[in-house]
Amino acid sequence: MREDDRREGVWRFLTYTVLLAAVVVTLVPLYWIVVAATLPERAFLAAGSDPRLLPGGHFLENLRALQARENVDFLGSIRNSVFVAVTYTLLSLVLCSMGGFAFAKYEFRFKEPIFYAILATLILPIQLLVIPLFLLVSRIGLTNSFWAIILPWAANPLGIFLMRQNMRSIPDALLESARIDGATEFQLYYRIALPTMKSSLAALAIVLFLFQWNLFLFPLVILDTGKYTIPVAINQLVGAQRVYYDQIMVAAALSIVPIFLLFLFLQKQFVSGILAGSIKE
Amino acid sequence: MCANSTRGRRAVERRSILKGLGGAGLAALAGCIGTGDAPGSGDGGGDGGGGGNSSAGGEMAKRIEAWGWDVAAKSLGITASAYEKEADATVDVKQIGRSDMKDKYKSRLLSGSGAPAVAMMESVDAAAWVATGGLRDIGGWIEEAGLRDAFVSGKWEPLTKEGKTYALPWDIGPVGTFYRNDVLEQHGVDVSNVETWDQFIEEGKKLPDGQYMLNLPSNDYDGLWRMQYRQLGGQPFTEDGKVNLDNETSVRVARNLKRIHDSGIADDKASWSSAWFSAFKSGSIAALNAGAWMEGTLRAELPGTSGKWRVMKPPAFEAGGSRATNWGGSNLVIADQVEEAAARRGWDYMKFSLGTKEMQLAMYEEYGIFPALKAAYEADQFDRKNEFFGGQRSGRLFAEIARKIEPYRFTTATPEVTKAINAHFGSMMGGTLSPEEAVAKAAKQVADRTGRELA
Repeated sequence: MREDDRREGVWRFLTYTVLLAAVVVTLVPLYWIVVAATLPERAFLAAGSDPRLLPGGHFLENLRALQARENVDFLGSIRNSVFVAVTYTLLSLVLCSMGGFAFAKYEFRFKEPIFYAILATLILPIQLLVIPLFLLVSRIGLTNSFWAIILPWAANPLGIFLMRQNMRSIPDALLESARIDGATEFQLYYRIALPTMKSSLAALAIVLFLFQWNLFLFPLVILDTGKYTIPVAINQLVGAQRVYYDQIMVAAALSIVPIFLLFLFLQKQFVSGILAGSIKE
Repeated sequence: MCANSTRGRRAVERRSILKGLGGAGLAALAGCIGTGDAPGSGDGGGDGGGGGNSSAGGEMAKRIEAWGWDVAAKSLGITASAYEKEADATVDVKQIGRSDMKDKYKSRLLSGSGAPAVAMMESVDAAAWVATGGLRDIGGWIEEAGLRDAFVSGKWEPLTKEGKTYALPWDIGPVGTFYRNDVLEQHGVDVSNVETWDQFIEEGKKLPDGQYMLNLPSNDYDGLWRMQYRQLGGQPFTEDGKVNLDNETSVRVARNLKRIHDSGIADDKASWSSAWFSAFKSGSIAALNAGAWMEGTLRAELPGTSGKWRVMKPPAFEAGGSRATNWGGSNLVIADQVEEAAARRGWDYMKFSLGTKEMQLAMYEEYGIFPALKAAYEADQFDRKNEFFGGQRSGRLFAEIARKIEPYRFTTATPEVTKAINAHFGSMMGGTLSPEEAVAKAAKQVADRTGRELA
C-alpha cells in the first residue's frame, strides 16, 4: 500500500514538473510580448545585456507611433481580420459539419476514396497552393476581396475529418427512429446531429478561427493595401533598413486579444469537449 | 520566350475579344498564351478602363497603379502628383513593405495577372524577376525616347538580357567612405590625403585599443567583397553565365579584406544591428563604406552626430587606381501582363519620373535618392554645402564617383554567391582558409549548387 502511494507521488511529481515546464514554455513568450509592448524600443533591444522583466510605461507611446504610420492601418487590419475569421469560421463550421455528417452517416459510391482524397489534401503546404489559387481566384474576379481568402479553405479537410470522427458516435438507431417519425434528412442533421456536437463544434471553431487568423502568405499575395489582415499588416513594419520592433510588439500583443476573447467565450464548451472522450460508459 | 515574342499578337487578341470577334485567331495562339492573362483580369490597378478602346496606337489608360516601398514609394508620390498636374491621368502609388512587395509582385508575375502598371525593382533582383518571363521588354521605348545614354552606363547591365531591356534605371548608390571627423581628429588620425587601402590601414593603426577604424561584419562579407570587386571591374559571372569568382581580382579583394581584419583596425558588429548604430553614435567605429543613401539613414537614426561626419572616395587598391563603386540601386518595370493602354501610361509616367532632371532632383532633395540620370548631376543641388558633413559638398563627390561606376552582372545565382562568400570568408578570417582557398571554395560551391560551370 505505502509502496503504491509512493509510486503515485513520484508520478504526480513528474507530471506536475512536465506540465509546469509546458506552462512556462507557453507563457513566457506571451508575457515577453506584453512586456516588450510597454518598453521603449531601446530598452527592448538592450534586453540581452540589460534584461527588463517588468512592464514599462511606454505602451501608449508605442501605440501612438503604430497608429501614426501611414502604410499600416492597424485598427483597420484588426477589423478586417475579425470579419474574415468570423465569417470563415461560421461558414466552415456549417460545411465541415455537413461533410462530416455525410461521411459518417450515409453510404454512397466511392465514399472511402473520396474521404481519403480529402484527407490527402492536408499534406499540401500553402506555399504550393498560392499560385494556382491566385489564378483561380483572379479568374473568377475575386482578387482583393475577402472572399478570396475565405472560400478556398471553407471546406476545411481537417474540419471534415474531425466532424466525421465525432459524428460516428451518434447512434444510428436514433437517426432511424427520427426518420420513422417523419424527420427530413436536413432535420436529422440540424435537429439531432448538430446539438449533440456542440462541444466538438466549439473546439473546431477555435481551430478554424486560429487557422484563418494566422494565415499570412495568401492574404499577402491576394489583398491590396487597404484590406490587409493582421499578420500582413504587422509585416509592413519591417522596413528596408529598419525593423520597428516597438510597434510590432504592440501590434502583436493587441492581435492576441480577439483570440483570447474567443477562448473565454468558448471555454466551457471547449473543455467539456476535451472531457467528453475521456470517460467511458 | 513564348510570352515575349507574342506580346504584340496578344494585344491584338485582347481587342478581338472585346469586339466579340475572338474565334479562329485565338485557337492558333492558345498554345503560347498558357499562363497569360485571363480576359478582363487586368485588375489590381493595371487596366484603368483604357484597354477597351486601345485601337489607336497611342491610347493611354486614365488610371494606373505603381508599387514601391519605404522612401522610394514616397518619392514616387512626389512625381505622381506632379505628373497628374501635367497629364490627364491618375497614378495611384501603393506603399508596401519591401519583402512583402517582392513576394507579392513575383507571384503576380508568375500567375500572369493582378500586377500593377509600374513597380520598383532593385537591380540585385533583376535577374530573378526577368527569369519569370513576366516583365515587359521596354527597350524599344527607351530607344525611341533617346534615354539609353542619359543614364550612367554601369546601370544597364543587370536590366538587360539577350538584347532586351526590362527596366528604366532610377537611382544608384555610389559608395563613399563615411567617417567621424571628430573622432579621428581627437586621435590625430588624418585621412584627408589617404588614397590607398595601405595608407588607410596605417592611419587606422594610430587609434587606441577598443577604438576601431572600420567594421567587418560576418553577416556581410559578401557586401564588402562585391563593393571592392566591382571597384576593380570584376564580374561575378561571365556573359554566358559561368561562375567567375575564382580569379586574381577576386583573390586581391579577399587578401585586402583579410589584411584589414588582421591589422586589428576593424570591429565585427552585425550590420544594421542596434549595437552597430550605437558604435557609430559613440564613434567607437569611426568609418563605414556605404552607398550615398547612407546619409539619409545616419541623419535619421543618429541626428545628434550631424556636422561630425565627412565623406571621402573609398580607398583604391593602388595609387591612381579606381575609387568608384556602387552599393544598391533600383529601377522601374512594367509587367508583361499589363494591358497595352495601361502599359503606355506606365511608360509615360516612368519617363516623366526618371527621365527628367526636375523629377530626379525633386526625389534627391526630399529623400536623398541618388539619381542615375547623368543630367541631374549638373544641377546646383550637387554643389550645395551639406551641414551633415560639416559643410562638405558631398553631392558633387558622389556625382563624380557615379560617372565612373563599373557595370556589374547580377544573375539568378546571386543569392548563392552571397551565401558562399559569407561562409568561406568566415573561415578565411578565422585563419582556416587562405584567401586563394576561400575564393576557390566559394566559386566551387556556387557552381555546384546552381549547376553552372566555372569560368
